[in-house]
Amino acid sequence: MRLLVSWLKDFVDVPGSADEIAGTLGLRGFEVAGIEPAGPGDAVIDVEVTANRPDCLSVIGLAREIATAYGLPLRTPAADPDAAIALAAAPAGGADRVQVIDEDAALCPRYAAAVAEVIPVATPAWMAGRLQAAGIRPISAIVDLTNYVNVELGQPMHAFDLARLAGGTIRIRRARPGETIRTLDGVARTLEADMLVIADADRAQAIAGVMGGADSEVTGSTREVVFESACFDPASVRRTSRRLQLKTEASIRFERGSDPGAPVMALRRAIALMQQMCAGRLSGPIVDRYPSPRERRRLRLRRARVKLLLGATPPDAEIVRILEGLGLEVAAAGGGWDVAAPTFRVDLLREADLIEEVGRHYGLDRIEPTFPPAMTPTPPPDPRIARDRLVRRLLTAAGLSEAVSFGFIEARAAAAFAPDGGPDAVSIANPLSAKFDTLRASLVPGLVDALAHNRRHGLRDVRLFEIGARFAASGETRGVAVAWTGNAGSEHWSGGGRDVDFFDVKGLVEQICAALGAEIRCVPAATPFLVAGQTAAILGPQGQAIGLLGVVAPAAADRRGLPRQDRVVVGELNLDALDAIGVPAADRTRPLPRHPAVVRDLSIIVPDALPAATIRGTMQAAAADLKAPLAGTALFDRYQGQGVPEASVSLSIRLTFQAPDRTLTDAEVQQSVEQILAALVREHGAVRR
Amino acid sequence: MALPDAADVQVEVARFEAELARAASPREAQAARDRFLGRRNSVVASWMQTIASAPPEQKKQIGRLANELKQAVEERWRRYAAGAEAAARPAGAVDVTLPGRARPLGHRHPLTVVRDQMEEIFSRMGFALVEGPEVEDEWHCFDALNMPAEHPARDMQDTLYLASPVAGDAGAPGDRRTLLRTHTSAMQIRYMLAHTPPIRIVVPGRVYRRDDLDLTHTPAFSQIEGLVVGEGISLADLKGTLAAFARDMFGTGSRLRLRPSFFPYTEPSAEVDISCWKCDGAGCAMCKRTGWIEILGCGMVHPAVFEAVGYDPERYTGFAWGIGIERVAILRYQVEDIRLFYENDLRFLEQFPH
Ligand SMILES: [Zn+2]
Repeated sequence: MRLLVSWLKDFVDVPGSADEIAGTLGLRGFEVAGIEPAGPGDAVIDVEVTANRPDCLSVIGLAREIATAYGLPLRTPAADPDAAIALAAAPAGGADRVQVIDEDAALCPRYAAAVAEVIPVATPAWMAGRLQAAGIRPISAIVDLTNYVNVELGQPMHAFDLARLAGGTIRIRRARPGETIRTLDGVARTLEADMLVIADADRAQAIAGVMGGADSEVTGSTREVVFESACFDPASVRRTSRRLQLKTEASIRFERGSDPGAPVMALRRAIALMQQMCAGRLSGPIVDRYPSPRERRRLRLRRARVKLLLGATPPDAEIVRILEGLGLEVAAAGGGWDVAAPTFRVDLLREADLIEEVGRHYGLDRIEPTFPPAMTPTPPPDPRIARDRLVRRLLTAAGLSEAVSFGFIEARAAAAFAPDGGPDAVSIANPLSAKFDTLRASLVPGLVDALAHNRRHGLRDVRLFEIGARFAASGETRGVAVAWTGNAGSEHWSGGGRDVDFFDVKGLVEQICAALGAEIRCVPAATPFLVAGQTAAILGPQGQAIGLLGVVAPAAADRRGLPRQDRVVVGELNLDALDAIGVPAADRTRPLPRHPAVVRDLSIIVPDALPAATIRGTMQAAAADLKAPLAGTALFDRYQGQGVPEASVSLSIRLTFQAPDRTLTDAEVQQSVEQILAALVREHGAVRR
Repeated sequence: MALPDAADVQVEVARFEAELARAASPREAQAARDRFLGRRNSVVASWMQTIASAPPEQKKQIGRLANELKQAVEERWRRYAAGAEAAARPAGAVDVTLPGRARPLGHRHPLTVVRDQMEEIFSRMGFALVEGPEVEDEWHCFDALNMPAEHPARDMQDTLYLASPVAGDAGAPGDRRTLLRTHTSAMQIRYMLAHTPPIRIVVPGRVYRRDDLDLTHTPAFSQIEGLVVGEGISLADLKGTLAAFARDMFGTGSRLRLRPSFFPYTEPSAEVDISCWKCDGAGCAMCKRTGWIEILGCGMVHPAVFEAVGYDPERYTGFAWGIGIERVAILRYQVEDIRLFYENDLRFLEQFPH
């Protein structure tokens, strides 16, 4: 709302500069977007009016706020011809020059109209100037005065060329199926059956509350006009405006709720302006279709409730002054007041709304801050927060930096990284861009894109992780994913650098799972975007799907802008699934062993296709019958090449034996090693080196 | 050659000391020593030679001076050699100025850094940390928050809807999620439905809007929502809580300004400005010369919201607020372009704490 300060002063003798007025409006809930000079001693204040205050999309509405803020009287429109805002003394009812039929009082609670003969004149400069300051282009005297009334009083008006209305009739009705209209902007529009139109005897001549039609537009040859000043249902105007994608000065006001009390007053203001401008002669009474006049809303305001909600006690006199200044009728009644809200205040529906008005004009800055007393002990935080923090700590300590990507990606990226082609992907019904049209089912594509971004900017070693929501038709889960390319460690003058491989990321996966108390295993898996043979599914103890791990296939990397020759290793875990299988760490510590452990190394040659997990299983099975209890096994070398037969591998395994109650003898340890070896020979044809 | 006298001893000793001081290496120091003490052509040797040609009554005197010089130079050399030995590197010494070997350390995302700090502050004030789902249904996101079907905020313009519904809480029949939440306030409803007052929670999380990606907008961003409900909770309590937060988050001198505003789910509603921490209210580029920085929206919980969750609005009052984490991060770190937070460029991320 562009508020011209001199126009405001028609209503209230506010002292001070535009800057001061703007500051006052800002602290009363009307944010000011800017102030522009507008001629000598004048300025336009660009006021942002919140959606609940359609009454302030007008000079009078903002003037009422200013008058209340400064404690000044407000000049209201009056029938006195010398009044600052003069209203014409126009009779109502009587012989109609136009027939008005309101078929839909629900969508059009009030419709007022008046007919006038047009006298061709130019719009006076003062009016054109004010309209331009308000951001409205002057068109012709008749149209300009309706726009002037709209800005001044907040009541949208329209003028029809009476000669173009078939049958001299105005019929307010729903559009017929498929009915069309060419609107003032020259666009032909097809209407839907529940849209309200202003029609003549034959067809729609305006879209109610949105825009007039071109056929009945007032032109230079118009002899007689019908002024329309009406009240339309906000929801209906909003729906129509939205579906036609047509936003106008009128629709913006109507869809927020216009004052059912205003149409006739606005019409009388328009007639007064017309007479003042010598732009026309009224040729009949004002027709007013208002079958069920709106009552003012009556509300109760309790003094104690004001104190409770604001935490402050404005004096009674102040409360009454504020409410009366805003146009409410206030009567003291035991413990508070009975209040009647004016019809233009469509937002005042309950007591809290009145308390907001008191608070607004009393000044929120005058409320002394207090701190709410602790009422109960604080419950523990959502366990996911602590879990995510732990995972984040582990990964940053391991050298990965945290990435954050949007929750959605382009369908192409989603499909490229879908484990099974992506039929499950959830898409957005109304995406603004194809880049964000699919909800991510995995965090991996976002990380791969982030890697590509970093590689494009010349970084070679990129380690990223992200913790976030993933979406599927079956619901929302939270996961963590890592993506790693380049050096496995860091560049150092002493050497030792090597590129990341599968086992670097597997190590991270194992550490996270261990930290969350979850036992997992990896099994070979295949998925289109990971290299065959370097892909593992991560499973829980009962085979629950926990995640995926592997080296990104060059073709998939290439599609997302990563160099084909880069090795990119990714892993992803479903944190919610991990929570489900995780066992909280025992609170008790284990006593330290009192007897020494004995360590023996064992080197064997086995077929190289034999999984390490199988060998581990064989050793653990054999351990059941051992004299010396087997406390642990660790593979510490794996070698293929000279001295090892084709398709075989040499494994060096460290066996640790320990008994809780005695020191083990050499003999029993030796015998146990032999037994384990025998099992490996028996099960896998192992050969000792 | 002139015969040396007593003063020449002092001169030669001083010259030797100066040469030692100039020596840049052990080899140069040794050469200096040889020039003074060597068997041939050294200073001491030449003094010895002059004895032969000296008058007999002076021979003894010159011999004594030569000896004096020799002892003095040897004494200086011994002292120098002891010092040099102490300065030499012991066996196995390392160059301590070489770079150390460090495992790389990752960095938290700046949005996490800001969020962690806010969580810490509110936890200390006795708020419970709660999280909620990002896919929501219309009722939790709008209807229950006093935004009926024709409300502007529900326009397709603002909300991202799902093409097909997503299942909600595991196994709950009929729990069909149809949109991406536009604010964390949806979680207020879920929490109030599951708990009875008093309530004091903060809800961090991601929200979505149908916005284009540009310098100041992203289609997804993060918020921290706060909610306090109890008996006798007032707007003064809201001010006190946010003032305490501002002092912790933005500095002890932070002042608070509430400007009335409008949100469908609070009444009264306000925007909160914080005194600019860069210029302390004097006016600078960051605060657009106003001295104030708009930081969050807040208000007293609308009675219609309490009615939606079955609370008695006569008995309970409460307040709520929502802070944009990106907004705080942009101001705190003076980031020009919000898209930097989502590009995940390591050169950016590595500027933030571990
Ligand atoms: Zn500043």
